[in-house]
Amino acid sequence: MNTNGNTYTVVYTSLVCVLVAAVLAVASQALKPRQAANEKAETISQILVAAGYGEMEGWRKAGNAAVLQCFRDNVEGEPQVYTPSQLKAQNYNIKHGKQLSLPVYRFKNGVTVLAVYGAGLWGPVWGYIALEPDMATIAGAYFDHESETPGLGGKIKDDPSFRDSFKGKVIGGDNTVEFDAISGATMTSRGLKTAIDTWMKAYREN
Amino acid sequence: MGKLRETILNPLFKNNPVTVLVLGICSSLAVTVEMKGALVMALSVTVVTGLSSLILSLIRKTIPNRVRIIVQLVVVALLVILVDQILRSFEATYAIDKQLSVYMGLIITNCIVMGRIEAFALGNKPLPALIDGLANGLGYGLILLTVAFFRELLGSGTLFGIPVLKALGYPGNGLVILPPMALIILGCIIWIQRSIDKELQE
Repeated sequence: MNTNGNTYTVVYTSLVCVLVAAVLAVASQALKPRQAANEKAETISQILVAAGYGEMEGWRKAGNAAVLQCFRDNVEGEPQVYTPSQLKAQNYNIKHGKQLSLPVYRFKNGVTVLAVYGAGLWGPVWGYIALEPDMATIAGAYFDHESETPGLGGKIKDDPSFRDSFKGKVIGGDNTVEFDAISGATMTSRGLKTAIDTWMKAYREN
Repeated sequence: MGKLRETILNPLFKNNPVTVLVLGICSSLAVTVEMKGALVMALSVTVVTGLSSLILSLIRKTIPNRVRIIVQLVVVALLVILVDQILRSFEATYAIDKQLSVYMGLIITNCIVMGRIEAFALGNKPLPALIDGLANGLGYGLILLTVAFFRELLGSGTLFGIPVLKALGYPGNGLVILPPMALIILGCIIWIQRSIDKELQE
C-alpha cells in the first residue's frame, strides 16, 4: 500500500488524533473523582496548616482520611470547602460586585481562616489566612500557586519563613496588610498583596 | 541471544543515554534534589519510552513517512498525559506529581524518548523495541538516582526523606541543592566512566 499519498496521510493522522483524544477523554473522566478527592484533601490540609493544626509534611504522610477527620473534629459547623478553581469564580464575583458567598472556616482553637485568591506572575496565587478572635491580627498563613518560578515566586509556598512573617501582623483599618516582598519575585509578591487586600476588603464589607 | 543481552546492557552502561549520548540533561538537573522525586521520574520515563517504542514499532509500517515525527509526538504525548493523570489519582503519588509539576509534562520533550523511537523502534520488531525502550529508560533512571543520591545525602543529609547524615548532626549544604551541583556530579560520573572505558575516549 502507498503510505505516502496525500489522502492516506490525511486520513491516517485524523484517525490517530481521534483515537488518542478518545483514550484521553475516557481516562480523564474515569480518574476525575479520585483527583478531585486528592485536591480537596490538599486544600483542607492547607487550611489546617494556616489554622495552626500540624504541618504540610505531616499531613501528606497521614493521608487523606486523617486530614478530613481532623477538619471535621476541629472546624465549627460544616463549611463548604472551596477548591482553587471555585475561589477563582469568587474572585470574579468580587471584581464585578456580584453576590458573594466567601469561604469562612471557624476553628475550635479560636482562629478563623479566610481565603485569598489573585493573579501572580505566571498564574493564579491563593492562600489561607488565619485570624485571631479580634479578626485583625494574623495567627498564621499558607500560600500556594499554580506556576510561579521555583526558587523565586515559588517561595510563597516553599519558604516557611515567608509565611511565618505574617504571624502577628495586623490588618489595618484600610483592610490592607504590609509584608516584606520576596527579592527576585516582585510581580508575585505584588500579586499576592493585591489578592490579600482585595479579599480582606470583600470580607469586611460582607 | 547475545544481541538481546546487548540491547538490555548497552543503554545501562556502555551506551548510556545520559552520560554517553548526553540526552535528557535538563530533567537530570531539575528533578534530582530528592531520591523520591527522581525515582518517580525515572519510572515514568521508563514506562513512556518502553510503551511508546512498543506502540510505534507495532504501527511502524503504516505510518506515512512525511508525518512520522508528528505521529510519534502524539503517541508520546498520550502516554505522558496518561502517566501524569494516573499519578495524580493516587494519594501516595499526588504530592510527588504536584512537586514534579511541569517536569512531568516535559517528559514529552525528553530527547531519549523521541531519539530511541527514531533510531530504533521504527526499524525493529515490537519485542526488541520494547526492551530497548525500557532499557534506555532504566539507563536514564540509573544516572538520575545516582545524582539524586549524592544531592539528597550531601544537600539535605537525608535519603528518601529519612535522616542519615542529618541524624549525625550534618547541617545540610545549600549549594548541593542548587542545579549547578547536579551538573558537576554528572560531569564526575562521565569522567569516571570515560577513564574506565577506553573505547569512549576521543
